[in-house]
Amino acid sequence: MQRHEVLVIGAGLAGQRAALAAAQAGRNVGLVSKLHPLRSHSGAAQGGINAAVGAEDSVETHIYDTVKGSDYLGDQDAIEFFCTEAGSTVVEMEHFGTIFSRAPDGSLARRPFGGAGFPRTIYAADRTGLALLQAIYEHLGTEEIQTYEEWDLVELVFRDGRAQGVVVYNRRTGEFEGIGARAVVLATGPAGRVYSRTTNSHSSTGDGIALAYRAGAQLKDMEFVQFHPTALLESGILITEGARGEGGILKNASGERFMVRYAPHVQDLASRDVVSRAIVTEINEGRGFPGGYVHLELMHLGKEKIESRLQEICDFARNFAGVDPVTEPIPVLPAQHYMMGGIGTTMRGETNLAGLYAAGEAACVSIHGANRLGGNSLLETLVFGKQAGIAAAAYSATVTDGTVLPEEIEHAAAPVRAMMARTEGAEPLPLRAEMQAVMERRAGIYRNDADLRAGIQELFALRAKRATLRIVDRSTVFNLNVTDALETRNLLDLAEVILAGALARTESRGAHARTDFPTRDDAHWMKHTIAGYNPLGPQLSYAPVAYTRWDPKERVY
Amino acid sequence: MVESVAVPISVYRYDPGRDAAPRYVDYTLDMPRHTPVLTALLRIRSEVDSTLSLRYSCRSSICGSCAMVINSKSRLACQTQVGPELDLHGRIVVDPMRNQPVLRDLVVDQGPFWQDYERIVPHLVPDPAHPMPVGKPNPMTPEEVDRFYETPRCIACGACYSACPAKEADPTFPGPMALAKLYRFVVDPRDGARRERLLRIQPGGLWTCLRCHLCTSSCPKDVRPSERIRDLKELAIQEQGATEAGSRHAVAFKENLHDRGLLNEMRLVRQTDGVVGMLRQAPQGLRLARKKPELLKKPRRIEGQEQVQKLYELLEDEEGGA
Repeated sequence: MQRHEVLVIGAGLAGQRAALAAAQAGRNVGLVSKLHPLRSHSGAAQGGINAAVGAEDSVETHIYDTVKGSDYLGDQDAIEFFCTEAGSTVVEMEHFGTIFSRAPDGSLARRPFGGAGFPRTIYAADRTGLALLQAIYEHLGTEEIQTYEEWDLVELVFRDGRAQGVVVYNRRTGEFEGIGARAVVLATGPAGRVYSRTTNSHSSTGDGIALAYRAGAQLKDMEFVQFHPTALLESGILITEGARGEGGILKNASGERFMVRYAPHVQDLASRDVVSRAIVTEINEGRGFPGGYVHLELMHLGKEKIESRLQEICDFARNFAGVDPVTEPIPVLPAQHYMMGGIGTTMRGETNLAGLYAAGEAACVSIHGANRLGGNSLLETLVFGKQAGIAAAAYSATVTDGTVLPEEIEHAAAPVRAMMARTEGAEPLPLRAEMQAVMERRAGIYRNDADLRAGIQELFALRAKRATLRIVDRSTVFNLNVTDALETRNLLDLAEVILAGALARTESRGAHARTDFPTRDDAHWMKHTIAGYNPLGPQLSYAPVAYTRWDPKERVY
Repeated sequence: MVESVAVPISVYRYDPGRDAAPRYVDYTLDMPRHTPVLTALLRIRSEVDSTLSLRYSCRSSICGSCAMVINSKSRLACQTQVGPELDLHGRIVVDPMRNQPVLRDLVVDQGPFWQDYERIVPHLVPDPAHPMPVGKPNPMTPEEVDRFYETPRCIACGACYSACPAKEADPTFPGPMALAKLYRFVVDPRDGARRERLLRIQPGGLWTCLRCHLCTSSCPKDVRPSERIRDLKELAIQEQGATEAGSRHAVAFKENLHDRGLLNEMRLVRQTDGVVGMLRQAPQGLRLARKKPELLKKPRRIEGQEQVQKLYELLEDEEGGA
């Protein structure tokens, strides 16, 4: 059995930053991912990373914007720490080799982003995630770290009151194996694929969140799902907020710049939840284009600016929507984009389970509260990835080696082997599609009691099919059916948590918009939803929001 | 509603542990013409045969997972639409990438690709003469950022590696992606190992490139690896002079054309490989000369040869000024 002092699962920005921190603390580090690290979904982040480094800007304003953007559900102490770390985090990434876009004077270029008081978003054209991912991967290459690429996470192993390691599935050999660890860091990203229309990659299936949940970790604020206003109509591929930051505007079918009505001060650069709801309202009230979408116009920016600052966007629009943004508007519609919720952690990445840490989109600290601001997620991966790595490294010095017993491997493998033995039953991908349809219909941008209750019933009905999950492929080499089955199981668990939290929260806050409870209710609901696992369904409880200096105010953009 | 067409797709299937030999399995699916090949393959997985194995993740040409050979061309499945392929070929034939062993179906072992990438020391090397500014980013102008050209766009998909005939002929050649990445570090003002990088890559590395530009035409992100390899060759000669057979050949080629407007094959071989190398190649040279005796003759200076020299001067002025 392989053993590490710190084992990081997930090799996107948060995972790699955690691994780097643990290695720098002198620990023996393992890094497991179902993808090659450079193929992680962090690389798809486009717009940028926030840091208040401009002379006119301040950390204080960044904190305020983030608190306000969170609709007062973010923990203010965590937000203060987060924004204070921003400047040094960006500098460090620059020193690691990130090729940021530059201003004429040689400083880091910045662009305006939604919900921000100043141009605060540092960027690398419109591929900031890729630029950061390349740089951290390059820098991590200078440390001794063992990587396990294209291994699926099957189970987290706890014994004697602490994490002992993980059971993983090696796609190359078809073997289930144990990796022992003193501390485990989950940085496995979001579960965007609970929805069918999502900007997230196919790999964003919430594996770490779901397995932590089943192992007893508390999930926090899972009902808060961000829908990005501008995704390509058919494919759901992301068109960065940077497109509006550079001056792009949204128009309805009558050519009206409708955001003027919804956010008179900042129009198209209002917070994402506001813009997404505006688009859906325009469509619902008959002002969308036939088929239900709006236009994102960039033409007035001119060919040179579009092709230099929004190079990837140009390619995406041309290749995936068949439109040229230089001469035509881009048809867009909101799509699931980000999960504010996740495994509940402290600012140090600690979960409620000894030896288990989490960071990045898989975790919920919480700094995004009910709505994340653009440019804050890349920053989160690096700030809290580092914290989780440091904390896991420190913890690992206080415990003995973790071990995974043969019976624990067998326990994790048995359900998968049972699926392989079945000759009848539900296949994972069609079952996943059924679940996605439920989530699109019942837990989208606008929610209500009847839909959410129906959704819970519909998901409950899928449990019977889930019990018959079947793996058709018998191969031991790159048997993707095994991955499909593991992922589908994880998604189904998390879909239930999202619906349960959304049904219980009888208010509208940030990205959670209830048509039957259209206002924010601070007296009853300024608190975090905590979901614990129970075989019958999620058990909800609530935890207070940490707040320091900013009293809740109405959120106007 | 967009009209659907019947799309015949032939997919390479092979599970080395269980199949005696690779085979092609034919599928026909109805889909709109602008459907990406990746979507077609995923529909096969979810509707016809879930055992089809391939790599995919972002479906938006940024993760680099789904590089494969589609109708004989190495490219991303997510970025290739079925309509134009049908127009050109009548059907779609999907194979795994080349120059890497097949693990299963469309999944190849990218181990060699990543090993070649590692060879170029893919990280910034600190420069003791210019330490990083404390607590501040390094200054870098937009013009300096432009010097990277499109190399930061590389998504390491491996399409160029799959398309490269030099890699196929010479497994020690690191391939286009690694060299484009090397260029990215060579021009980085923050890097302290520029000279070592250029010296180290020359033997058996840089000069194996055939300049066929297949890497550039197969790159989904317009990184243009062959142009960056050309840039590296120039930088290497500037750094070290023409010390390799490859660089001597390049310089000899240029001098030949400059002096006479035509290649003098004898002189070219002598300048590239030296007298001993020339003797070693004599049997082959003689065989060639039997078929084309003019090879042994010193070519005449072509008419209007001054104009060739002028062209060289113009080019050198332009590059000097650029």
